[in-house]
Amino acid sequence: MSQASIRVRLTLWYGTALALILILFAGTIYFVMARALRDQVDASLEEASSAAIRTLGEHRFGPFLIFEDLSQNFPELALLDKFFQIFGPAGQVTIQSANIQSREIPLSQTAFQASLKGNATFESVRFDKGVPFRLLSVPIMHTDRLVSILRVGISLYPTDKMLQRLLLALLIASPIAIIVSLLGGWFLAGRALKPVNVITHAAQRIADGDFTQRITSPRSSDEIGRLASVFNDMIARLETSFRQIRQFSADASHELRTPLTITKGETELALRRPRQAEDYRQVLESNLEEIDRMSRIVDELLFLSRADLGEIKMTMMPIQLDEIVREVQLQAMVLGQDREVETVLGPISPIVIDGDELRLRELLLNLVDNAIKYSHSRTQVEISLVQAGLQAELKVCDHGIGVSEQEQQRIFDRFYRTDIARGHASKGTGLGLAICKWIVEVHQGTIQVESFPDKGTCFTVLLPLPSSLS
Amino acid sequence: MRILVVEDEPKVASFIRRALEEESYAVDVCADGQKGLDWAQSVDYDLIILDLMLPVIPGLELLKQLRRNGVKIPVVILTARSEVDQRVKGLDAGADDYLTKPFAIEELLARTRSLFRRAGGTPSGILQVDDLVLNPVTREVSRGEQRIELTTKEYALLEYLMRNAGRVLTRPMITEHVWDLDFDTFTNVIDVYISYLRNKIDRGREQSLIQTVRGSGYVMRTDV
Ligand SMILES: Nc1ncnc2c1ncn2[C@@H]1O[C@H](COP(=O)(O)OP(=O)(O)OP(=O)(O)O)[C@@H](O)[C@H]1O
Ligand SMILES: [Mg+2]
Repeated sequence: MSQASIRVRLTLWYGTALALILILFAGTIYFVMARALRDQVDASLEEASSAAIRTLGEHRFGPFLIFEDLSQNFPELALLDKFFQIFGPAGQVTIQSANIQSREIPLSQTAFQASLKGNATFESVRFDKGVPFRLLSVPIMHTDRLVSILRVGISLYPTDKMLQRLLLALLIASPIAIIVSLLGGWFLAGRALKPVNVITHAAQRIADGDFTQRITSPRSSDEIGRLASVFNDMIARLETSFRQIRQFSADASHELRTPLTITKGETELALRRPRQAEDYRQVLESNLEEIDRMSRIVDELLFLSRADLGEIKMTMMPIQLDEIVREVQLQAMVLGQDREVETVLGPISPIVIDGDELRLRELLLNLVDNAIKYSHSRTQVEISLVQAGLQAELKVCDHGIGVSEQEQQRIFDRFYRTDIARGHASKGTGLGLAICKWIVEVHQGTIQVESFPDKGTCFTVLLPLPSSLS
Repeated sequence: MRILVVEDEPKVASFIRRALEEESYAVDVCADGQKGLDWAQSVDYDLIILDLMLPVIPGLELLKQLRRNGVKIPVVILTARSEVDQRVKGLDAGADDYLTKPFAIEELLARTRSLFRRAGGTPSGILQVDDLVLNPVTREVSRGEQRIELTTKEYALLEYLMRNAGRVLTRPMITEHVWDLDFDTFTNVIDVYISYLRNKIDRGREQSLIQTVRGSGYVMRTDV
């Protein structure tokens, strides 16, 4: 699971970074502490040595210097933590403090050589018993001649002990801190990833086909909240298109079922026994009619589904709308001949709009076809085109069966046909007005119906004029 | 056997009617739910074939109303394949069988026969009175060893009489079950057909299987 691995990775990254910081921090503390302690030791050694030299000076550096005098003048010298040694110019011990006891702490070569040059030397040494010492050797010069070498020493045991404790504390505390912070990091990563978990579950349910799922995120402005809302948007869109697809296939199969039932039924019936040639001809004619109906349904459905997906190419250019009206009127005269329905022109203004000529012609033809189809015989259909404010107003009116008030909104739905219309004209798929509506909408216009049952119907299309668009 | 077809798609109704008529059933067709309900309640049909998608009154509603009013005529519903739900609802509402569109003609006819058989109570479907045998599946009629050739209407009349053997059938009952609505009841067509039938099935016998009941109608005798 990638979610768990993100959690692990986050925690590890976090832990590693923290460990590095801790190590750096602990190292720095240790180093600074060690330096500070050393400096402090050195300073105390220097102080002790200068005090000793002053005392020696008072005794004019005589060989009779005794430690008791020294410790008398400088009570702190008597403290157990430091010892003194005085070496002769050749480097042999001449005198040393009592607390040095029997230990042999000879003068090192480096210190002796430095003293010959008149330089003081700090040294850290470790003798037999393993006790570390810090030593300061200071040459005592008299008129440029090395008289003797004073050495002050101090055991580093207490400072080492302190540093050890510090190290120990750091070594114990750091892993604990890392473990605690890893746990904290694990917990925090889990918390931060929890909404992701929720989203994953929602996505899972959606994958199983439940499109009603939405992600609820209380914090809507943070990253996860934004992800959730983008995700919800996406599901909503998926839901719509899924519903459309389902609707489409349901509609398609339903509408194709009737012609299929008819062709199957007629054909089977014809094949049950030998028949006259005329009977076969009738069956074939009926089948052909139904096949035409099916291919029309398929074509129109495909058109609409491609329109839904935005795949229909429109070539928008200035169109002389009144010319289209005149041409369609001529076609309509032919369409209406059988039922003696005449199509006449009302007021027609010269109007140019931006649009797709093919689609606009289809729109008008569909409306006029309906008007003729649903007219009473020997009536007139009227087309008019005028400018109404910033829009072109196209009207197709008939005197026919009409549409009842409650059905007026539904006739633009796919496959919707009123019962009276079915009885009046059996042919028809109920897709014409759905296509009209789509065409009007891509031209940013509106289509409305006004109708009275058994009196007549007017369809009004309003299309924006080019000037009002810019 | 008289059948009511309630179907609003004229071409579907038309081939169903022709197929049933070829089987010598009397068929009435109506295109909306209201008419269907009225007819089903006023005529004693032997079977109703009911489309569920109907104008005015939906098929399901029609069916429920029929059953509520105590009409027990067997009903076959026509549904769309995708609407499993509809099928179940239809059966729950009191339908006896269903067919999904598009359906095979032979299947429609087979189910029609099987519903009549269920109503008639003979499991094999073969009707027999004395040595007169009628097979609704093959539509063969024979008396003893003798095959009898009948016209469609003669066959329909005989089937109705045999299904109701022993019962007195009045002329209106026969009209209702053997002829469709276009039939003019004032003619003596029934008597003419009865005499045709007698000619064919009783030839060379002393007593006729079809007896006239004075003043009321006819009866298929079972006591010969
Ligand atoms: N001029 C009209 N008068 C009355 N009813 C109409 C008119 N135009 C449309 N209708 C109603 O709206 C329904 C839908 O119309 P539409 O053009 O979409 O389908 P159709 O005409 O039935 O089939 P087709 O796909 O062949 O155009 C019609 O079936 C009819 O009930
Ligand atoms: Mg149309």
